[in-house]
Amino acid sequence: MAIIETRDLTYTYPGATNPAITEVSVTIEKGDFVILTGPSGCGKTTLCRCFNGLIPHFYNGNLEGEIVVAGLKVNDHKIHQIARHVGLVFQNPENQLFALSVEKDVAFGLENFAMVRDEMRKRVDWALQMAGISELSERPPHELSGGQQQRVAIASVLAMQPEIMILDEPTSFLDPVGAQKIFEVISELNKKLGITIILVEHRLDLASMYANRVIVMDEGKIVLNGEPRKIFNSEKARLIGVGIPKVTQLYQHLKIHGINLKRVPVTPQETANILREVLKHD
Amino acid sequence: MSVFEGFKFRKVSSAVHRLDPRIKFFYVIILFVMAILFTKLLALIVLFFIPLPFVFIARVNRQWLRSLRGAVFFAIIIFATNFIFGYFYPSSYTEITGAVDSLGEYLVLLERASAMTLRFVVLIASFSVFFLTTSPDHLGLALQQSHIPYEFCFAFTTAVRFVPVLADEAQTIMDAQKARGLELERGNFLKRVRNYIPILIPLIISAIRRSLELAEAMESRAWGASEKRTNLYVLKLKRTDYLLVLVSVLMLIIAVYVWLYVSIPSLTTLLSL
Ligand SMILES: Nc1ncnc2c1ncn2[C@@H]1O[C@H](COP(=O)(O)OP(=O)(O)O)[C@@H](O)[C@H]1O
Ligand SMILES: [Mg+2]
Repeated sequence: MAIIETRDLTYTYPGATNPAITEVSVTIEKGDFVILTGPSGCGKTTLCRCFNGLIPHFYNGNLEGEIVVAGLKVNDHKIHQIARHVGLVFQNPENQLFALSVEKDVAFGLENFAMVRDEMRKRVDWALQMAGISELSERPPHELSGGQQQRVAIASVLAMQPEIMILDEPTSFLDPVGAQKIFEVISELNKKLGITIILVEHRLDLASMYANRVIVMDEGKIVLNGEPRKIFNSEKARLIGVGIPKVTQLYQHLKIHGINLKRVPVTPQETANILREVLKHD
Repeated sequence: MSVFEGFKFRKVSSAVHRLDPRIKFFYVIILFVMAILFTKLLALIVLFFIPLPFVFIARVNRQWLRSLRGAVFFAIIIFATNFIFGYFYPSSYTEITGAVDSLGEYLVLLERASAMTLRFVVLIASFSVFFLTTSPDHLGLALQQSHIPYEFCFAFTTAVRFVPVLADEAQTIMDAQKARGLELERGNFLKRVRNYIPILIPLIISAIRRSLELAEAMESRAWGASEKRTNLYVLKLKRTDYLLVLVSVLMLIIAVYVWLYVSIPSLTTLLSL
C-alpha cells in the first residue's frame, strides 16, 4: 500500500527562476526504509518539505503536480494536520529543540494536540525509552552532545506517533559513533513499530544495511530508484557521485580483475561471508 | 562572556526553589510595597533582613552578593543625588530649619540619603532572590498559568534557552574575526565600538537563520493545532506556599499598622540619647 505518492511534482521557491525539483513522481510503500541521496543542492530537502506540507504552506512558492501523503492531499491540509502522520527531523539538532528540559521538548507536539496530561506523560516516557534517552529526561538540551540532541529530536517526533518519519541528514553534525546510534534507533522504529522511514543520508557505508530502497536524485530529478544492491552497483550511481559503500566498490574491483562474487554486498559482514564461501571453494 | 553568566540556568533544588513562583512573586511585591511605605532608616534596615533567610535556605549567597555588588554603582548615584538635593533644598526636611549648617542637620541629611539608598538595595535584594531561585521553566509556567498568552511565554523560555547558544556563537565569531586580523581593543572609544560591527553582523544573520529553522521545526511539530494547548507540567500550590502567603500578608498588616500608629525614631536621635 502506497503511503506517499507524488505525480509530476514541480516546485519553485519564491523569487527563484528555476524549479528546485522538477516532475518528481515517486511512490513510497508503507513500512519502507528508504534512503534518499544525491549531491548537495539536488533537491532532497525540498522534497522532504513537500512530504510534510512545509511546502507549499510555510514556503509558499509555486507547487505543481499532485502529492498525497498518508491519504491526505498536502495542498488541502494544514501543516499541523499532516504532522499527525508525518514527523520531520532536521539536520541541525540544536535548532529544533526549544524547551529548557528534554522531556518538555518531547512533549511539545503533544501539548499542541491538547493531549490530557496523564496520557502525555506516558507517551513522553515511552518516546524517551524508544530513543534510548530516558536518563536524560530532565537535562537542558543545550548541555547534551549532538548525538544526544538528535535523539531528543527523534523522540519528540516519535511521541506524536507518526506513520512516516523523515530524517534530513540527521547525522551530518555527528561523529561516526553518534551516527551509528541514530541509525540503530530508527531501524528499530522501522522494524518494531512499522514506521515508514525516509532517511536523507550521505554516509551510505553505515546506513545502507538498514534500507530496503534507495532513491538517488540529481539536479531536481529522481534518477535512480530501487533495491540498494542494484543501485549501488549501477554505472549511473558512480557517475553522479553517490557515496557507494566501500564493500560494493570492492565487489566491483574484484569483478574487473575477473573474480565474480555471487551477490553484490552492501555490508562488511555480508562481504566476509561471501568471501569465505569463495575462498573455501578454491 | 561573563555578562551572560548570570542568565545561565542552574539546576539546584531547595525548599525555596520549590516554592510556587507566583507566591514568591507575591512575597517580593509585598516587600516592595513595604520598602516604598517607609522612609526611616531604622525601618529599612529591618526590611533588609527579611529576605536573608531565603538566601541561606536556597544557598545562593554567593550569587546574591554578586548581584548586590552589581547595584553598587546605582546605589552611589542615589546616595549622592539625595544628599546634594537635600543640601540645596533643605526646606523639604521638617527637621532642618534654614540652611544646613549644624552637625545635627548634616546627620539628618546623611540618614535620609542612606535610607533612600537602602530602599533601593532592599528592592534589588528581594528581586534577585526571586530570580536566583526561580528556574526559567517555572517562570514560563507561572506566566502561562497567569493567563498570559502562550506565544509570549514561549518566546520567553525560548529566549532563555538560546542565551548560552548565542553566547557560544558570539565567542566563535569573535575568535574567527580575530584570526583574520580584527583588533577589538584598539583605538579610542568610538573606534572600539565600531570594531564590534564585524562581530554583530554575522551574529545577527545567523540568529535570523536560526529563527527560521526554529519556526520550521515548530510548524512540523503541530504548532497551533488546537485552540487551547495543554501542558506537561502544572503548578500546584503546596502547604509551604500557603504558609508563605500567610507570612506575607501578616508582614503587610504589621507594616501598615506601624506606618499608621508608630512613629519610628530616627537613628540620630536614638544614638544621641
Ligand atoms: N529556502 C530556500 N529558498 C530558495 N531557494 C532554496 C531554498 N532552499 C533551497 N533552495 C534551492 O533549492 C535547490 C535545492 O536545495 P535543497 O533541497 O536544499 O538541496 P539538498 O537538500 O539536496 O542539498 C538549491 O538550488 C537551493 O539553492
Ligand atoms: Mg539538504
